Amino acid sequence: MDRRCLTVALVVSLILLSSFITSTSSLSVTVNEVECVYEYVLYEGDTVSGNYVVVDHDIFWGSDHPGIDFTVTSPSGNNVHTKKGTSGDKFEFKAPRSGMYKFCFHNPYSAPETVSFYIHVGHIPNEHDLAKDEHLDPINVKIAELREALESVTAEQKYLKARDARHRHTNESTRKRVIYYTLAEYLLLACASGLQVVYIRRLFSKSFGYNRV
Amino acid sequence: MSSRGCRGGWIRYLTSLALLVTSSFVIWGGFVEGIWLTIPASGTKCVSEEIQSGIVVLADYYIVDDDHAHLRTSSISSRVTSPFGNNLHHDENVTHGQFAFTTTEGGNYLACFWIGGQHQEAAGLTIGLDWKIGVAAKDWDSVAKKDKIEGVELELRKLEGSVEAILKNLIYLKNREAEMREVSEKTNARVAWFSIMSLGVCILVSVLQVAYLQRFFQKRKLI
Repeated sequence: MDRRCLTVALVVSLILLSSFITSTSSLSVTVNEVECVYEYVLYEGDTVSGNYVVVDHDIFWGSDHPGIDFTVTSPSGNNVHTKKGTSGDKFEFKAPRSGMYKFCFHNPYSAPETVSFYIHVGHIPNEHDLAKDEHLDPINVKIAELREALESVTAEQKYLKARDARHRHTNESTRKRVIYYTLAEYLLLACASGLQVVYIRRLFSKSFGYNRV
Repeated sequence: MSSRGCRGGWIRYLTSLALLVTSSFVIWGGFVEGIWLTIPASGTKCVSEEIQSGIVVLADYYIVDDDHAHLRTSSISSRVTSPFGNNLHHDENVTHGQFAFTTTEGGNYLACFWIGGQHQEAAGLTIGLDWKIGVAAKDWDSVAKKDKIEGVELELRKLEGSVEAILKNLIYLKNREAEMREVSEKTNARVAWFSIMSLGVCILVSVLQVAYLQRFFQKRKLI
């Protein structure tokens, strides 16, 4: 009984240890100039995927944000992925080596922007891992693939949610602008005509003398 | 509040840290999850997320051990606020901490960190933040122990939890889109009404103007 419990515990711990080390982070951060986020990639060849959306922006004129720059730097200092001047994008790349990756957002303008990002590191055990660890079943590979597929659906949902938040922000801004700018327009109209009347009155007042008109 | 750019020495630190972390993983079998952030020497670093109501949030933060001298003298403070401004968690001068709560209202939850020691660091500090919400925050070990499931069945249960979370998110997104559509249509109707009204205001004001001036000139016996 003891040996069986021991082997079961060993199998469970090995299964839990050997695979399914995935990492997921989803947050929003305010970018003043440069903001960097670090994420650790455990295995070489892992797929690092994610997306980012600029959520909070106050543009007065112009139809779109000039964009922020996004760079991913590998632990050895190489630039793995770059995207310049966008207001949101999805990315995916295969990690060339394991280690700490740096994801940086660069804001070229003075107004601070809020960026909502999502980073996911996914690992699927391959034949090499299967050969090394005899407790790793082919079913674990299938489960890992299923997990990665579900994670990609979740990633898409987070991207849609961030885009929806940005759209909602624009909508609210439009609603406020419609109300306040029309009220201001009416007031200005009334003021302009009031000033016109005052001016005409002055033109015809006795001190000027209406011969001058 | 602007964070300093990373200096070249970070690469050395990071490599040694990677080694340390990998070795710690081998020894303790723990998972390194979550992201690292740099806190500037002065000012706060805030991260936020828009979370719907009824979601479990579990977070863990710690100072990243890049230099033993740093660890001895530095400490961080944190504060978590709900979208309506309530203070959900407040910690001063710790080297690591964690907080957990269930959201009661939907909105933007903000977690802010700042360096809280008396010793003012010349450079910023790196903290690791492990932020989990929803199904990722569920304690699967206790579920495995309670239901006595293990291995493949546990993994499949996790996948089932994932699928349920996806469905819930989908319904949430649909509702948000419906709300936004209503606001859009209201704004559309308002634009039409306000433009016609502006024409009406223009005509009204000009009629009043003309009537007043007529009365004025009649009084002055000019007409």
